[in-house]
Amino acid sequence: MFRRRAKPWCYCAPALILILIIIVFPIAYTGYISLTNMNLYHWQAYEVIGLDNYARALFKLDSGFMSALGTTLLWTVLNMVIQLVFGFLIALGLNAPKLKLRRLYKTLLMVPWAMPAYISILLWRVGMFNTELGLLNKWLTALGFEKIDFLASNGIAFVSCIALNLWMALPFMISTIDGALQSIDRSLYESAQLDGAGFWTQAWKITIPSIRPVVAPAAVMTTFITFKQFDIIYLLTQQRGYMTGATLNTVITYVHQNAFASNNYGLSSAVSMLLFVIIIIFSFLTNRSLREG
Amino acid sequence: MKRRTKERLGYAALNMGFLLLCLITLVPILYAVNVSFSGEGVTLSGDFSLIPSDPTLENYRTILFDEPFLLWLKNSLLLSAGTMAVAMLCGITAAYACSRWRFPGRRAMLRVLLVLNAFPQVLSLFAYYRILRLSGLLNSHAGLILIYAGSMCVFAIWNMKGYFDTIPIEIEEASKIDGANDAQMIWKIVLPLAKPAIIVTCIMVLITVWNEYLFATTFLLESEYYSLAAGLYQLQSNDYTRSWPLFTAASILASIPLLLIFFKIQKYMVSGLTAGGVKG
Repeated sequence: MFRRRAKPWCYCAPALILILIIIVFPIAYTGYISLTNMNLYHWQAYEVIGLDNYARALFKLDSGFMSALGTTLLWTVLNMVIQLVFGFLIALGLNAPKLKLRRLYKTLLMVPWAMPAYISILLWRVGMFNTELGLLNKWLTALGFEKIDFLASNGIAFVSCIALNLWMALPFMISTIDGALQSIDRSLYESAQLDGAGFWTQAWKITIPSIRPVVAPAAVMTTFITFKQFDIIYLLTQQRGYMTGATLNTVITYVHQNAFASNNYGLSSAVSMLLFVIIIIFSFLTNRSLREG
Repeated sequence: MKRRTKERLGYAALNMGFLLLCLITLVPILYAVNVSFSGEGVTLSGDFSLIPSDPTLENYRTILFDEPFLLWLKNSLLLSAGTMAVAMLCGITAAYACSRWRFPGRRAMLRVLLVLNAFPQVLSLFAYYRILRLSGLLNSHAGLILIYAGSMCVFAIWNMKGYFDTIPIEIEEASKIDGANDAQMIWKIVLPLAKPAIIVTCIMVLITVWNEYLFATTFLLESEYYSLAAGLYQLQSNDYTRSWPLFTAASILASIPLLLIFFKIQKYMVSGLTAGGVKG
């Protein structure tokens, strides 16, 4: 009896031990540090100070957390809206019935997805955005305009980061929507045409409802990835020794900066825990609506 | 007649649009390819044609033989192989148990794993530093393999479990009657059947390890231990104006294997990612 009960857990044991060390311990440790005043001045002799760090993050505007959260929300919403709209339009174009070079376009458009992310970001940082070596500035000078430092201040750095994120993330969206489009029953369109429905009516009444079950989970997944995006903003604007002057922060880079640039581990951990809670709540909500929808 | 010309014009416009889109997509990469083949000094000039005027392999020679590129490549392969072994060993056994047996706590465990996986890994950096220093695994590949394997483990379990669920249990019962024990059965019957899922999971592990620079540069202290990602990161962070051509050459060399793998398995990527749907 005992052996039959214990066997599944024995099979799970290696995975669970690994997860305990690599995932559970860091979360627990972060939770503990979030209750202490560990920072540059209390590096060894830190003590538990209760919920002060949480209060500071949430209610003191100068902590920067709230503005980082705002930036992150704006970042996520903008990225998702642009991705869905462009992804949809491009995928529709790819599915035009008499498009002969479809396969070629599809392959070429997928290349950014296949590139290692950090390489894409670093290539863009120097190859596109840099003032001396960047292609964009070379074009601007050739056309007789002033050079622009694309990463120097918050506004333009934000736009640059969005452009790069779109470049990196659109292929997945295009390919998901394209796959969903191909599974739609063609006869639906034929009967719609007989009823005199135009292109946009068909898109709105047939195409979008039909692809929703496939695209919605992918979009939710991408939303989480976009929300948690760290590499783009970090590598473009705040690498150690190469701060570009932009003080753009999403919540994730905010945590990283507070820990490793200003050594404010207590606050940084508190924000990490807050983020964890936000993500969990958000995923429960989306899970429920996905199941019902 | 009129309708046909209209349609033709429409398709011409569509094709133009797509050509332009492809060009925009590829420009950063084409430019990098161009720089990687051009000699010194070219990069600072105003010239930006996509075909280098005076192609040379000098950058590739330097990166391959004067820089420890091949050593980094070896390290990356080692890290990937180690991570795959650990993650798959842990993942397959757990996924098999969760797929085949209904034991109390199974559903709760799978759920909790998903919730835990929602914690962004970047935020664990500091805790990992503590663990690795405590266990003396700082500056070693073993430490990194543990971290990578742990972070891929939940994905592996969910992905493999989903696939095991589709393998009919009758096949296993038949082999049970033939007297095979559990280990033999998993090794000889289940794993060969689950090959597509194993390959996809392994490739996701490979891509993760290949792309991970933050932990690698933080926990590996000497450049001889660096993975490719860490090495390339280091290369661009030391005076990138001078090393930019070298960096482009290295980037292209490091991307080619992934591009090849990607286009080989592309059709599984969408379904594999969304069906697993756990990472991210």
